Amino acid sequence: MAFPSNPDDRESSVRAYIDHTLASLLHELSQPPSEARPAITLRRRANRTTCIINPNTKALEAQQPAETYRTYLWPGKTAYESWKFTKTDESIWHAAVVVRILSIVDQAIRSHQRISKRDIYYIDPEYFRCQSIVNGVIDELAYTIGVERAALNVVRSDLSLSSISDAETTLVTIGRPTVAGQDTLIPRVEDDDEIDMEGVRWVLVIEKEAVFHRLARNSYYMKAIAGDGILVTGKGYPDLCTRSFVRRLFDTASNSNRRPPQFYALTDGDPHGMGIMSTYKYGSAAHLHDNARLSVPGLQWLGLRVSDAIASSDSPENSPIMSLTARDRKKITAMFQNSPVWASDGPEPEWRTELQRMLMLSIKAEIEILYEQEGGLEGWIDRKMFRQG
Amino acid sequence: MALRLSVSGVFLDSIPRSIGSSLWAISLPVPSLLSDLWDSVLRAAPKKKTSHMKRRHRQLAGKALKDVHGLSKCPACGQIKRSHVLCPHCVKAHPVDIFSLAVTDTQILSASGASSIKVHSTTDTDFRLVQSIDNAHKVGCHHLVTGANGSRAVSAGFAGDLKAWSCEDGYWFADNATSANLAGADAWAVSLSLDGRYLAGVTQNGHIKVWDLGANGALIRDHETKGSFGTCIDLSADGRFIASGHENGAVYIFSAETGRMPFSLSGLVKPVRTLAFSPGGRILAAAGDSKVIVLYDTASGEQIANLSGHSAWILSLSWSHTGEYLLSGSFDGKVKVWSIDTKTCVATHSETEKAVWSVKWLPKIGRTEGFATAGANRSVAFYREATGG
Repeated sequence: MAFPSNPDDRESSVRAYIDHTLASLLHELSQPPSEARPAITLRRRANRTTCIINPNTKALEAQQPAETYRTYLWPGKTAYESWKFTKTDESIWHAAVVVRILSIVDQAIRSHQRISKRDIYYIDPEYFRCQSIVNGVIDELAYTIGVERAALNVVRSDLSLSSISDAETTLVTIGRPTVAGQDTLIPRVEDDDEIDMEGVRWVLVIEKEAVFHRLARNSYYMKAIAGDGILVTGKGYPDLCTRSFVRRLFDTASNSNRRPPQFYALTDGDPHGMGIMSTYKYGSAAHLHDNARLSVPGLQWLGLRVSDAIASSDSPENSPIMSLTARDRKKITAMFQNSPVWASDGPEPEWRTELQRMLMLSIKAEIEILYEQEGGLEGWIDRKMFRQG
Repeated sequence: MALRLSVSGVFLDSIPRSIGSSLWAISLPVPSLLSDLWDSVLRAAPKKKTSHMKRRHRQLAGKALKDVHGLSKCPACGQIKRSHVLCPHCVKAHPVDIFSLAVTDTQILSASGASSIKVHSTTDTDFRLVQSIDNAHKVGCHHLVTGANGSRAVSAGFAGDLKAWSCEDGYWFADNATSANLAGADAWAVSLSLDGRYLAGVTQNGHIKVWDLGANGALIRDHETKGSFGTCIDLSADGRFIASGHENGAVYIFSAETGRMPFSLSGLVKPVRTLAFSPGGRILAAAGDSKVIVLYDTASGEQIANLSGHSAWILSLSWSHTGEYLLSGSFDGKVKVWSIDTKTCVATHSETEKAVWSVKWLPKIGRTEGFATAGANRSVAFYREATGG
């Protein structure tokens, strides 16, 4: 889908949609009760069962842009009754949630404030019942209007970190000058921001914050044998902002110089680690319409493979290898069945084989086991990058 | 202006760095990354170059490399191959890891992380591909067993499904009725009795179950153990015993007739990955992460011998038809043949460095015995007795 690229266009289309929706609601409500049909229709995202890997964008997408519409109706006799919160009638409650969130978003835009999904939920947790309902409605709203979530002034809570080398030739400027060499929260990348990645040899996407901090504290981004680099972590499954940041780095890198930097992923050797890597590279099932502009097709798998873990576990006294739990096994089976990334004719036979080996040996391993390696975690990453780069 | 600044930055910074590195070279050993390379550099010796005249003389004397003339058409796939050599297109059977092998009198079946099961003939030395059962398990297959008379096979897929197969005149087809009866069986490892009538399986929560495939797959036994993940199971050839190996290192032997457990064998503290009854049923061999093969007397439950020599996890065991030899395959790609008389290793094969998931003795071809191995190098390797004596 083409998003309006100009921020002014985006804001005006959001404003227009909100004004129009609220106005038509009010109009319906002002009618005599017998004729009033107040309703909101939202476009919903495609169902996740039909997703494929788009051969052009190499991202997880809906097979055809199948959309369904959901209409929230007020079947109440009088307008007043409908607005009342009744726990028994789910559809009334749902419709009321939509209107409520719409008004919160409207307020945020008018006052030029950023608000997070979490904030919205905590305005009235009892009313919204759970965070996922808020998330769902906001995503549907954004999809209906045809803008990114950020255009609704809804941002993620501060989660992700990146660490950028301040070596002499490396100055990564993101919007405003970043204090180089320090952990910074991942900035929101605007379309017209310019990123200068001159001198960056690699970008390492890390699953765990603890590992990130260890590498950043030892200034690995300057000391790596492969050269200067950028460390990024999304603290588990990445949010949209982290993914769009990594994607921007990737776009800049592939458009720029003669030797574009390599993109690596370092995750745990367990089903979630593999899922996180797949989310960066191909996208998530929850945001099928966003994946084409957020995926990082050039991401390479640095580790951790279970075979690496077994090789490093020769010291018998404290075995760092853990057994898969029943939940892990269920998760792997579900991954095989639901996502085309893991299919037998899918794009990543190595990933698929890795999951099968995990099941076969019933083991998993965390990145932390590499601390004990010769040369520590840094030495291990050096060797891996050397072999893959 | 900006250019000049950055250049001077490089210059200033490079001075202390170069001093640092020269000091390094004097005082410290080679950094860890280089040490890998260093060995090979030291070992490399310049090759003596063969002069044109010498090569020409050898060629005229008939001692040079000869052209390959012995080519033939592969009877299975029709592509050109070297005669008396296995067809590379047929034998490289699966694009992913091969997890299990099963043999009948005339065939060898292989199951892999791909969706199909391949059937090769063992009656001729070409081991040609006779059948490919496509879409057997959509997400791959990890265990495959046959009854020794070769009329029935059962396969277990990564999705947790069991499927039964029947064979007529060397052609396999799905036994849908039996498969339907086995739905929800939830077994990880399986084993078939010699006549193919009884199927034994061990579940992820450590239950040992027996189904009577002659009576519509009715569940006739369900033994509960301590709940540790069941990794392997075997039925003795005479059908008297069932043995199961578990992740916590436990080995249980059940009497098939009474359903009692005469022995709970300890001795392997680490996960057991494979076990096998000798053809006479008198000895049970078990092995796993402890890298030792333990032989138990099934009459007394006592430990007869420890066969040590592997330096990695042992993943698969198979007895020769006479019970004279035991075959073992390990995670580092080593395949060993053990003499039971002398309790020593009589042969070690190391064609690959990748995990060997499955080893199997082949039915006798003429008078020679042989075996097959398969694993993470994605091909089936066939071995035969070298002496011929």
